[in-house]
Parts: sequence; C-alpha cells; structure tokens
Amino acid sequence: MTVWEKLRPYGMVAPAIIIFSLFFIYPIFYMIYLSMFDWNFVSPVKTYVGFQNFKDLLMEPDFRQVLSNTTIYMVLTVTLTTVIALLLALWLNRKSYFYGFVQGAIFTPHIISLVSISLLWSWLMDPEYGLLNWVIGLAGFDKLQWLSHPSTSLISLVMVAVWKGLGYNTLVFIAGLQSIPTDIYEAASLDRSKPWRTFTKLILPMLSPTLFFLVIINMIGSFQVFETIAIMTQGGPVNSTNTLVYYIYEYGFRFFKIGYASAAGVILLIIVGILTMIYFKMLSNRVHYR
Amino acid sequence: MAKIELKHISKKFKDETIIEDLNLTIKDGSFTVLVGPSGCGKSTTLRMVAGLEKQSGGEIWIDDKCVNDTPPGLRDVAMVFQNYALYPTMTVRGNIEFGLKNRGVPREEREKLVKDISEIVGLTPHLDKKPQSLSGGQRQRVALARAMVKKPKVFILDEPLSNLDAKLRNQMRTELIQLHKRLGTTFVYVTHDQVEAMSMGDEIVVMNKGVIQQADSPMKIYHDPANLFTAEFIGTPAMNIMNRKDVQGLDIQSAAGIGYVGFRPEQAMINAGADIEGYVLEGEILIRESLGAENIYQIQSRTGIFYVKTFLAPLVTADRVTVTVPHDDLYYFGLSGERLRGIEVSTKRPVPAGGI
Amino acid sequence: MKFLKAVNNNTIGGTPIGASAEDKWTGQRSIQANLRKTLRVVLSVLNVVGLLVLVLIFAMPFVWMISTSLKTMPETMIFPPEWIPKNLVWQNYADAWNTGPFLSYFVNSVVISVGILILQMLTIIPASYAFARYKFRGSNFLFGIVMVTLMIPAQLIFLPVYLELSAFKLLNTHLGLILPFASSAFGIFLLRQAFKQISDELLEAARLDQAAEWKIILKIMVPMVKPVLVTFALFSFIAHWNDYFWPLVMTTNETARTLPLGIAKIREVEGVATWNILMAGNLILVAPILLVFFLSQRQIIKAFVYNGVK
Repeated sequence: MTVWEKLRPYGMVAPAIIIFSLFFIYPIFYMIYLSMFDWNFVSPVKTYVGFQNFKDLLMEPDFRQVLSNTTIYMVLTVTLTTVIALLLALWLNRKSYFYGFVQGAIFTPHIISLVSISLLWSWLMDPEYGLLNWVIGLAGFDKLQWLSHPSTSLISLVMVAVWKGLGYNTLVFIAGLQSIPTDIYEAASLDRSKPWRTFTKLILPMLSPTLFFLVIINMIGSFQVFETIAIMTQGGPVNSTNTLVYYIYEYGFRFFKIGYASAAGVILLIIVGILTMIYFKMLSNRVHYR
Repeated sequence: MAKIELKHISKKFKDETIIEDLNLTIKDGSFTVLVGPSGCGKSTTLRMVAGLEKQSGGEIWIDDKCVNDTPPGLRDVAMVFQNYALYPTMTVRGNIEFGLKNRGVPREEREKLVKDISEIVGLTPHLDKKPQSLSGGQRQRVALARAMVKKPKVFILDEPLSNLDAKLRNQMRTELIQLHKRLGTTFVYVTHDQVEAMSMGDEIVVMNKGVIQQADSPMKIYHDPANLFTAEFIGTPAMNIMNRKDVQGLDIQSAAGIGYVGFRPEQAMINAGADIEGYVLEGEILIRESLGAENIYQIQSRTGIFYVKTFLAPLVTADRVTVTVPHDDLYYFGLSGERLRGIEVSTKRPVPAGGI
Repeated sequence: MKFLKAVNNNTIGGTPIGASAEDKWTGQRSIQANLRKTLRVVLSVLNVVGLLVLVLIFAMPFVWMISTSLKTMPETMIFPPEWIPKNLVWQNYADAWNTGPFLSYFVNSVVISVGILILQMLTIIPASYAFARYKFRGSNFLFGIVMVTLMIPAQLIFLPVYLELSAFKLLNTHLGLILPFASSAFGIFLLRQAFKQISDELLEAARLDQAAEWKIILKIMVPMVKPVLVTFALFSFIAHWNDYFWPLVMTTNETARTLPLGIAKIREVEGVATWNILMAGNLILVAPILLVFFLSQRQIIKAFVYNGVK
C-alpha cells in the first residue's frame, strides 16, 4: 500500500466531514456553550449564568406548554399517519391503472411546499368563508373555529400534517408489502391461516423494518414542525400551537435572548437524542426479518 | 504460457488459519483443476494466484517471476468469475474491450481483437446488447471472451459453470476443453464437483481443509488414491470403506497398521461364482437403481451398507447375494487415513461355519 | 383488508359447503350463491366509492385553490361556492407577482437549489464510496459523524449556524444558503448502501482488467448507482426548492430570498382576507412542481418511495 492509497479514503470523505463538522457538529457544542450565557446578540458582553437559563425555562409555564404541545402534536401525528397509512396500503396495494391513479393522488401533497400547504389550509379552515365549514355545515354540524380557537388549533395542525404525510407513508408501506415474496401468502393460505392471523403473524412482522423506518422519519419530522405554525397560527391562539422550534425561533429572532433560546435548543436536542437512541436499540434488537 | 509455483503459502483470516504451508506447481500449459468440498481453501488459493487476495506468508511465482507485490492487473492473469461479474452498465463490446482500453491498446487493434474473439465464442450478433438481456450461456461466453481477449498467460476459472443448467453445463465443459487445446494456455479451474474435475482436468489437485491431499492426473487419482480422503471423494458412488476389525476372512500379511479396507463399487461382482478369487461379502439388496447402461445396488451386509455398480449386466432380482471383490482391487489405508501399498492377501480357508 | 381477502381467496371464497346433491340443499345453495353475488357487487361498488372519496380528499383542496385564484374578492365569500367563477380574473396572478421582487425570488430559488445539488453530488459520491468500500482507521468514528448529522434536524441548530454565518459575513448571500447543505448525510447513507450492494466480483474483474481506482469508481461503480443518484437528486431539489425555514432564518433582506418566502409575504402585503390573490401566488409556487409531477409521476414516486424501502 502506497501512502497515497492510505490517504485516499480520508481525502474522499474530507469535504463531507468538513461540512458536517462546521454546520452540524460544531453548532451543537456552540449551542450548548451559548445556553450558559445571557446574551442579546448585539452587545459585545456575554454574561456567564451557568444553568440559570435552564432553570428559568423549566419554571416558565409557557415553556411547559410548548413541551406538551410538541409532544401531543408528535404523538398524534405519528400515530395517525402510520396507522391510517398502513390501512390505506393494505387497501390500495393493487396493480391497476385506477389504483395507480389513486396512489398518485394521495401522494401529491408530499412534494408540495409547506408554505403552499399552510396557505391553502388556512383558506380551507377559514372560520367565516372556509370550504371545510361549509362542508360540515352541509352535514348538519356547527361551524368550527379551527385554527382560531385553542381547543381545535393543535388538532387542526395535526390534520394538515397527516394530510400531507399520508400519501408518502402509504406508498412506502405498499413498497414494503410488495417486497414480501408472494409464496409466503400462498403457504399461509395452504396452512388455512385466517386473514387476521396472516396479518399479525406474517405481514406485520415482515413489514416491521418499514414500520420502524416510517416511525423514525415521522417523529423527526414532527419535532421539526415550524412552517405550518409560522404561517398558520404564529403559535397562537393563547400559545396553544407554540412548539419547540417556533419557540426557539421567537426567542432568538424576536426577543434576542440568545442564551435562553439556546437552552431550549439543548432541551430539544436531548429529547431527539434519547428518542433516536431508543429507536436504534429497538431496531437492532427486533427487526431481523429481512 | 506460464508455469505457476506456490511456495510455502499460508493464509489467515483474522485468527483463523485457512491454509498452512501449501506447496504446488501448476505445469505450463496444463488444465489444472482444484477440487474439494466447499470451504477447503481452493477458491482462496486461486484468488491468491490472481492477486485478489494477499497471502499471509510464502511466495507465488508465475514464470520464474515472484509476483508477491504485483497488483492483479499486472500479473497477466485473466479470470472468469462464478457469477460472471459482467459490467452491467456496459455493452458486451464494452465489457470485452474494457481491459484492452486500460492497457492502452489502440482502437483499430481493439476492434480487430473484439471481432475475432466474438466470432470464436459466437457473440457477434450480441455485441451491442447489455449483459442483462443475454441468456445464462451467453453471459458465460461474454465472461470468457473478456478473459480471452487479453491473451493472458494464465486463465483462472472459479466455478464458472455452476450457474448453468445441466445440459448447458455439459456443452460448456466440452467447449472449455476445446478452448484449452486451441489456446494452449495454462488453465486453473476451481470446482467442488468431482465429475467436472475428472472430465476436464489433465491435472487434478484434491484439497481438503486447506491441505493438498493429492495432485495427479485424473487416472492416477482414481486408480491410485494417496489417502482415504481422495479415495472417498473421487468416484460415484464413493469408494466403500470398512473398518479393519469388521473385515473377516481375509488373511493379511503384515497386518500391522491397517485401519481401513476399501473397494470401488464398480470393481465388485455380484454372484460371481467360486472360480474368482477374492474377498467375499454376503448381503441383502435394499435398493436397486437402474440407469440403463449401469445398475447401482445398495446392499446391507452384516457390518453395514455398501454399494455395487455393474455395467451392461442384467438387473439382479434375488434379494440375498454374494459379492466378490478381487484381491487386487482392495485398497488399504492406515489408521490416520494414509494409503498402504504392497500388502499381500489371501482368503482364509476354510470359511468358519457361521462366518460371513 | 381487501388485500388480505384477495390473498386468501382460495380458502375463503369458492368452497361449497356440503357437497350433497339433495333438492333442498340445491335450493338453499342457489339462494346463498345469489346472496354472495349481490354482496360482492355491493362491496365492489362501495370500494370504488371509497376510492373516489379518497381522491376527493386529496384533490379537492388543489381544485379549490385554482378556483379561488380566478375569483374576485367578493366571489370568494359566496356560499354555496361557485367552483367555476363567472369571469376568470387573471389579473390576480399579476397582482400576486407584483407584491414583491418575484423575478429575484425565482432566480434565487434556482441558483440555491441547483447550487446545493451540484455540491452535494461532488461531496457525497466520494464519501459514500470510501465508507462503503475502503477499510481505514477511524472510519467508524467518521461515519458516526455522518449518522449524528443524519439524526439532527437542521431546524434544531439554526441559531448557532445563524451566528456562525453572521460571523463569516455570509448572511443574505447565496453562499450562506448553500454551504450548510453542500453535503448530505442522508445522501451518503443512501449511496453507501447502494455501493455496498455491488458484488466484490465486479471490482475484482475490473482490477484484473487493469483499471485504475478512479476509473473503477467513475466508469463502473457510479453508473451502477445511477438510479439512486437520480432518486437523491429529485429528492434534494424538491426539498430545497420548497424550503421556507432556512431562507427565512438566514436572510434579513430581499437580496437572497426565495420563492416560498415571497409567497408567504403576499399575506403581509395584501392583507389577510385577499384569498384570491394569495391563492394565485400560491399557484405560481406550486404549478411547476405539480406539472413536473404529472409528467413524471411514476419516476418521482419511485424515487421518493425507494428511499423508504432501502
């Protein structure tokens, strides 16, 4: 092995690693560092305050609500998306022109900008002139306030997220289903397996890698939620849709409390880190079917 | 053309020793077949010759040149892989001339070489197709053409026929033998199939657990196996082997050290009559397999099951039979499996009542 | 559940119960058969109706968007709604376009999305190849960095990155919006899998063909992962074309702002209730992507879904 051959792999990974280090790894440490200071971004003086920012945050009722909003949003979005998508996948897993068309239709929102989707749904959910209220009016229900009332605002956002993510999740499930060799179904039917049994004992376990993949992707996506909130609700009404990323954004860019916002960022980092580790552990322990 | 010498080769993967102190000379222009059960180190040996795997110790010489530090591309070795390893993104022509391009062969010469080769292997109509659209046999030919076009000193073939169906495999076998005659290049061929080895090689190297059991011509390997492993590995059905202590009625001079006695199924005779001198076994026929020209019997004797194969003889219908093996056709092996030669025997007479 | 039924057809359907030939049985059986037939027809009708409702749920908002974008403002408030306005108000599009420097938005969007794509290709191909094919000291650690990056949402660390870019004087520049995404952990992850799946035999064949390492990579390995590269390119381009968050956070004036920001800003310029103009602007952003999607739907779906399966 020549020296060049020994150095080659390092040279090949260097550009990517430098980018990641500069814009992902270093910022994490910088954020942790900043979280221990009181700084308004303009002043040249950073005041060291230790863990005071964290203490303030955790005492802050608003922040607690932000945490619970984010968790509720994440759990609802991930569960609804995954479950409905799985059912749709079992329903739509056919190869015909019509089914292909349906699959394409439900996939469309996935490639549309969140800005468009937010604006479009703001219009659909308009309490006065929105199409949704007209439709539920036709069905004989009272008008809803949707985004304008704290009791329905968060669930409205969940609805939009599910609507956007459903098609992608369904098609990934369908791809997973199609990668299961058909002779397994044939063997099961020769063994007189009942449909429900075939589903729980064969299809679901074989689908578990796909399922885990989707759950991770959906969770990470839900924690990042920002666009819909920034455009549709700005965290309101009465803080009912304020989530972590939007909270950090507001404290950093509106109120210039850099240390405080960084502390919130560190808390988000810890949550995402723990979840990721749990899932990787589960992934390595359980998903051995393929 | 080249002679290949392996001197004190050893190979370790991590802590596991695959091959230890292997010495082998592959004759110039020979068709040498390395044969053995899977995991015996034959493929590893081959890949070390090609330079795809580095040996942990020892030297490899090709034509009086030590190639230990020569990269695979410069060893003047061409290889046909088990799964063909055709470049799926290139056409058949692209596949064949890739090696030539890398050597900087000029365009006109390349075209001529590709044309000649594709005529030899019958690929001319397919030159502009991608490998994916070819049949298994055609892919095999592309792999051959790709190797041949470089006019290498040594051809290395790693189980090249194992992905073909039985008929095509037979056909390719013949074609490979003819090809070898025509080119006169050294062929080194790896297979786990002893029939393939016997039918193709003019030199066979039997390997087991990283050790060469015997390297000889096919006939020598068959008639004069060096040890128990070779004796059992070559031939279908395998040689019948009996424990020395189960063999009664044989008067063996210099009986010391004999562990096993064996005979080939095709050298035993059923109900031969008393005039033929030999070792006699009695047994009951369990299964008859009639293949037309030959019949194979599975026979249960007092000490175990053995096989007999007869040629162009009517099927034996009786259940109980006597089987005679001429004394000259008995093979003797030591306790650790080594062949013992020059042992004189005669049948003990009279046969004790109730014996065999 | 349809799917399961189809799969288990041979056990559920078509098994006559009791093979007796007596008259009372035959009568009962024909009634049963009729019932089953009717049930099957009803089910398949329900199935089609269900599918149409599903399509409606996903298509209707877009139809409504187009419809609104061609109405006058008073028309947007009429109920029951008119799906096709009496007069098509194309002026809405011009109004939307004139709310800001839209030409500049558009150019910025193209420059940034394409710039990111090119740099990503240049960085992820060699990196993923090295991770997939070479053994080198520290590769686990370096790949760990990739995995950590893969797991960190960019929205999580925008604050420190903002401070960083501001220190480099890169705020409000194209470079500032491109550089943080000049490589992609996701891309490396995908491509590494693809490179790993290529059989060793192929590389060995190429080595015996005396091909230099760079030639093996460029002439044999990269063409083999082309489908994955196309997949990733589509994925990356659409994601960055649509991105709102990053340009919003990393710009303080109009010079480097992109189309999604311009669209979102219409509301601030025109006021809240002008849904017709807002939807017109929205269509400007959505139309190109929708058009591409309709033209190569199969390709794009395959590209996106492929990521999920591998």
